[in-house]
Amino acid sequence: MPIAPKPHSALLIVGHGSTGNPDSSAPCFEHADAIRRRGLFAEVHCCFWKEEPSMREAFYMIDSAEVYVVPDFISEGYFTQDVIPRELQLTGPTTIIRGKTFHYCLPVGSHPSMTRLILRRAREVAPDADPAQTTLIITGHGTNLNPNSAQAIRDQVSRIAASGAGYAAVLDAYMEEPPFIAGWDLMAPTTQVIVVPFFIADGLHSYQDIPVLLGIEKETGAAASQRDIFRHNPHHLRDKLLYYSSAIGTERLLADVILDQVADFDRMHKSALT
Amino acid sequence: MPIASELRNLLRSGVHRMGELEFQTNVSNHFCIVTHWQDAGRVNVPGFGGLARHDGPSAARDLACRTEDGQYRFNKGQTNLQRGWMMVLENEEDLRQALDLFYPAGVGVFLAHRNDTLEVENLRDKLQRQSGMYRLAGKISDAGAQQLVRKICGPDHACARRILWQIDAHTPLDDSAASRFSGIPAPLAENEAIPLLCREACNFFVEECRKAAQEEMQDQTS
Repeated sequence: MPIAPKPHSALLIVGHGSTGNPDSSAPCFEHADAIRRRGLFAEVHCCFWKEEPSMREAFYMIDSAEVYVVPDFISEGYFTQDVIPRELQLTGPTTIIRGKTFHYCLPVGSHPSMTRLILRRAREVAPDADPAQTTLIITGHGTNLNPNSAQAIRDQVSRIAASGAGYAAVLDAYMEEPPFIAGWDLMAPTTQVIVVPFFIADGLHSYQDIPVLLGIEKETGAAASQRDIFRHNPHHLRDKLLYYSSAIGTERLLADVILDQVADFDRMHKSALT
Repeated sequence: MPIASELRNLLRSGVHRMGELEFQTNVSNHFCIVTHWQDAGRVNVPGFGGLARHDGPSAARDLACRTEDGQYRFNKGQTNLQRGWMMVLENEEDLRQALDLFYPAGVGVFLAHRNDTLEVENLRDKLQRQSGMYRLAGKISDAGAQQLVRKICGPDHACARRILWQIDAHTPLDDSAASRFSGIPAPLAENEAIPLLCREACNFFVEECRKAAQEEMQDQTS
């Protein structure tokens, strides 16, 4: 959905960040740059839980009186429902804090347009793979502590299965809850398998942990930014042909999803006020 | 007044330094050239003394992200900014964007502090809001936290920030080189630099609190 320019508003993209790996926040900055270049907002900023600026420092970077906050997170959960509202002192969809009006949008990962990005990434990583002969696995962290973590992926699986994309099978799999991604070869009914990690960045999990679980790597490798060559597809493993993509959050079109969440906020909340 | 306009006024008033960055105005009609302060003299040498030139603010994140030997600088207040580059900026908005990547929110925090509108966050408040394994950090004793400030903060320990926070509302930091540091690099006068301000303990300090709290608990049980 195209977004109307907001020359008097700021966009604040909130990421997790990392004290150990700059790859975690890199997509946030790239999406911010892409949106800034379009000139839609008066200002575009990033802030983080584990990097600078913190969410509380971000308040002081912003000139505009109206601020759209979009979490660059893959699902609704502890961070989007507890940490971000607490840190930014948000009490609802719209909160006025010291003269500024903050609109709290949903996280990028929960937007229906993520489906389009997953399919695009799958086609990019395996351009010659016939979907009818291919299993598409969307993988995430998964945790028994937060059912929303897996639900966002299950939602995507349902949407892709219903989309007419034509994959022989579309499955979900996780690092820390069943069905486990380590058993990808047993769950896939076809020889060709595409695995798309439903993560926000090529950080520890998607670039270092999951390749070990898939069998691509024998042990955890270095961070993405410290390696010269991205892994070569396809991988001949366990009598299958495996294609493994980079994290969905690194897709440049995620900037559009951020804007989609702003547009959806206006549609859901602002139209109710007019 | 917008932050970028405030920044322009600061430059006009004679400010030329922030942390390890040096600002040079009116060089070859550019609005501002930013370098590491130790490279400032090379700007006027033919071929810019071999400095790698970046036009616009977009390279600032990469330059601020790693030290010269490739280590990740997640704490941007560290005094280990890489050298060998110059950034050519044509307006105050580009300078503002660059500074927000080198020293995130640093200008805005300084302006709020100057206007007496900055909300400083004391250490106990920060530690109480930690999640996961970092919750343990809140168990550190006041004495342990005071010792950590002396051990890891301030210019003696490669941090360029002036600490504004206390342990809690009733417990100021003990007097030390770290707690006394003004955020203005010596020997500059106050009106020559934008001080780097520490309004809340950084995540490195939180991590060290967690380790120290763990050691304190182990000492109590042994």
